[in-house]
Amino acid sequence: MDVDTLVEPGAILPDLRANSKKQVLQELAGKAAELTGISEREIFETILGREKLGSTGVGNGIAIPHGKLADLDRIVGLFARLSRPVDFDALDDQPVDIVFLLLAPQGSGADHLKALSKVARLLRNRTIVDEIRATRDASAIYALMTNAMAQNAA
Amino acid sequence: MLESLYVLILVGTILIVVAAFSSLLAFRFGAPLLLLFLSIGLLAGVDGIGIDFDNAGLAYFVGTIALAIILFDSGFGTRISTFRLAAAPALTLATFGVLATAILFGLAASYLLGLSLVEGLLLGAIVGSTDAAAVFFLLRVGGITVRERVRSLLEIESGTNDPMAIFLTVALVETIRAGSGLESVGIDVALGLVGQMTIGLFGGLMGGMMIVSVIRRLAIDRGLLPIITLALALSVFAAVGAVGGSGFLAVYVAGLYAGNAKLSGGPTIKRFQDGLTWLAQIVMFLILGLLATPSQFGEILWQSLVLAAFLIFIARPIAVWLCLLPFDFQRREMAFVSWVGLRGAVSILLAIVPLIGGLDESRLFFNAAFIIVLVSLLVQGWTIANVARRLGLVVPPQTGAIEKHELELPGSPDHELLSYRVVDGSPVARGERIPRWARPSLVIRDGRSMRYQYAGRLQAGDYVFLFISPRYPPLLDRLFARPADLSPDDAEFFGEFTVDPAANAGALAEAYAIPLQPEEAAMTVSELMMSRLGGEADYGDRVSAAPVELIVRQVGLDGTVVAAGLSLEPERGRGSHIPLFFSRRDLVAGVRRLFSRPGRQP
Repeated sequence: MDVDTLVEPGAILPDLRANSKKQVLQELAGKAAELTGISEREIFETILGREKLGSTGVGNGIAIPHGKLADLDRIVGLFARLSRPVDFDALDDQPVDIVFLLLAPQGSGADHLKALSKVARLLRNRTIVDEIRATRDASAIYALMTNAMAQNAA
Repeated sequence: MLESLYVLILVGTILIVVAAFSSLLAFRFGAPLLLLFLSIGLLAGVDGIGIDFDNAGLAYFVGTIALAIILFDSGFGTRISTFRLAAAPALTLATFGVLATAILFGLAASYLLGLSLVEGLLLGAIVGSTDAAAVFFLLRVGGITVRERVRSLLEIESGTNDPMAIFLTVALVETIRAGSGLESVGIDVALGLVGQMTIGLFGGLMGGMMIVSVIRRLAIDRGLLPIITLALALSVFAAVGAVGGSGFLAVYVAGLYAGNAKLSGGPTIKRFQDGLTWLAQIVMFLILGLLATPSQFGEILWQSLVLAAFLIFIARPIAVWLCLLPFDFQRREMAFVSWVGLRGAVSILLAIVPLIGGLDESRLFFNAAFIIVLVSLLVQGWTIANVARRLGLVVPPQTGAIEKHELELPGSPDHELLSYRVVDGSPVARGERIPRWARPSLVIRDGRSMRYQYAGRLQAGDYVFLFISPRYPPLLDRLFARPADLSPDDAEFFGEFTVDPAANAGALAEAYAIPLQPEEAAMTVSELMMSRLGGEADYGDRVSAAPVELIVRQVGLDGTVVAAGLSLEPERGRGSHIPLFFSRRDLVAGVRRLFSRPGRQP
C-alpha cells in the first residue's frame, strides 16, 4: 500500500483556510464528498464521532482524523496544510496545521489500521513535516510524501 | 597487640571507603555495583594484596547481621499496597520456586560434580534464593522503570525467599553430617519448615507491633530513634531465631509492619537505614570476597560455569514458569522474571554453612557457589536494563526531573511540609497555578522569602513551600516536573492516538472493529480497560483489544484510568514471539486449536 493508493495528487489541499477544528473537519468532509460521491454530512458525522472518542491530534501540530464508511469501495486519503494553525484538543495542546484525513470501507479491518499506522509513522518524521510546512504547492507536497513513503518502505 | 588493632581498623575502613567511592564509577558505567564490592574483597584477599582472612565463623556472623539489616530495610521500604499487588505469585516463587530451583539444580550438580544426590541438593539450596540486595539495587537504581507489577513481584520474591533457602541449606547440612542420605529427609523436615515459617511470621508480626508501639511511646531524641529501631529489629531477629523460628522471615515481616505504620519518625529512620543498608552490603560483600580463595577456583571452574548456565537458562526459567502458570502473566513478563534471578551475597553466605558444619566437600561448595554468584551478577546483572527494554517492560518516565524536599512536622503524621524548586519548563514555571488544597505558603526567591499570594508568577529557581496531606504529592510532582523527555520509541509505547477513558467502549469498538463481550459494550473505555486488566490499572499497562491495543497513560487517585492511548500495531517486536514461557492463555488457545482442527476437516 503506497501513498499513491492512499492519496491522489488531487486530494491535497496545500493552503486550507479554517478557523476551528469543526470547520477543518467540515472542509475536509466537503472535499472528500467530491472525491467519493458520499454525502458530506455522513462523512462529517463519522469523523466527528471518532473525535468524540478522543482527539486525533497526535502532537507536534499534526492530526489524523479517520473513520469508516459503509458505501466506500477503497481507502481514501485527504491531505491538508492549514494556512493558520487551529486548536485541535491535541494531547500536547499545540494547535494543528497538518491534517491527514483517512477514510476506509466498513469491512476493511486490518488494511484500515495498516494505512493509519503508515500515515502516523510518515508524519512522525520531523524533517518531512518541516519540509511540508515550508511548501504551498500541492504537487511538491505530493512528491515529498511519496518519496518519504518509499524511503520508509525500504 | 594495639598496633595490629589500628592496622586492622585502618585496612577495614580504607576498604569500605574504596568500595563506597567505587559506586561513583559503577553508576557511570552501569556495572553491577555489588560485583565491584566483591571484586575489591577478592583483590584485597589472599590471592590479591594478600590479606589472609580465613575465619568462616566471623564471616558468617557478620554476614548474618548484615543480611538481617538488609531484609528489615527491604521490608520497611515495601508499601503494603505493593505487597498486596504481588504477594501471591511472589510467595509461590519464594517457597515452591526455591524448592524447584534447588531440586533441578541439585540433579545437575550431583551429576556434573560427582556428588551424592543430597550434596547436589545442598548446593542447589545454597544458590536457591535470589538476592534482595542485588535485585533491589538493580531495579531501583538501574535507571529504568520496570512495570510496577513485575517489579513488585521481583522485589517481594527476593525479600522473602531467603528463609526458604536458609532452611533447606541448614536442614541438608544436618542430614549430611548425620551421615544419612536423602531417604531420611522426610516428614519431620517438612514439619520443621512449616514450624519455622509460622513462628517467623507471627514473631515478625508481634515484633513489628512491638517496634511500632515502642517508637510511638518513647519521646526520644531524634538521633537515637533509628538506632533503637535497628536494635529492636535485630532483637526480633535474634529472639525468633532463638525459639526456633526463621529470624530472617521475622525481621522482614517486622520491617514490613513497621514501615507501613505511618510512624512520625519514618523518614528519619528510612534515611538512616538507607545508609546502613549500603554499609551492610559493602561489608558483607567485602568480607565474602576476602574469605574466598580464587586460586582454588580452577579445579571446578568449568563445572561451575556449566552449572551457572544451567541455573540461569534452565533451572530458574522452569521454576518461574511452573510457579507463575496459575497466575495471569504474559510471556515476556515471565521471561523477565526468570532473567532477574540474581544470586548474591546470600548464596555465598549460605555456602559458609557447610564450612562451619565441617563437611568434607565444604570448600568445593563454597567455591562453586562463589563462581555461580559471580557469573550471575556479571551476566544477568549487567544485562537487566537491556533485557527489560527488549521485552518492552520498561515504562517511559512519567515526568522529568523534580527537585523536592520533604520536611517532617512534629505531631502530625497526616500533613507534611514539602518544598519544591521550580525548574525551567515545568508547568508552574509556564504559568500554571498551584491548586488551593496544596496550601502554597511561602516562596523563597533569590534568598528573600515572601508569601505565595504576593510572589506573582513563579520563576525558575524559586523554592515553594507547601503544607499538604501525603496523599497528594503525585499530582503536585506533575506540576513541578520538567516535561518528560520522550523518545520516538516512547511515543510508540503509548500508542499513536489518545482515547477518552470516559467515552463509550461500544463506540470505540465500532470505530476499530474490536470484538467485545456483550457486557462490555455498555462500559466506558476506562471500565473496559480495568476489567480486562483484572481490576487494577497501572501506568504503562497495555490492554489487548485486538486488532488494536489500549495503553494506560495516566491513573487517577481513585485508581481509574484518566488518560489512555491507542496503539495501531500491538506488540510490534515486544517479546510475544519468545517460544518459551507459554502463558495459561497460550496453553488454553493451543489446546483448543488442537481439538478444533480435526473438526474443521471435511
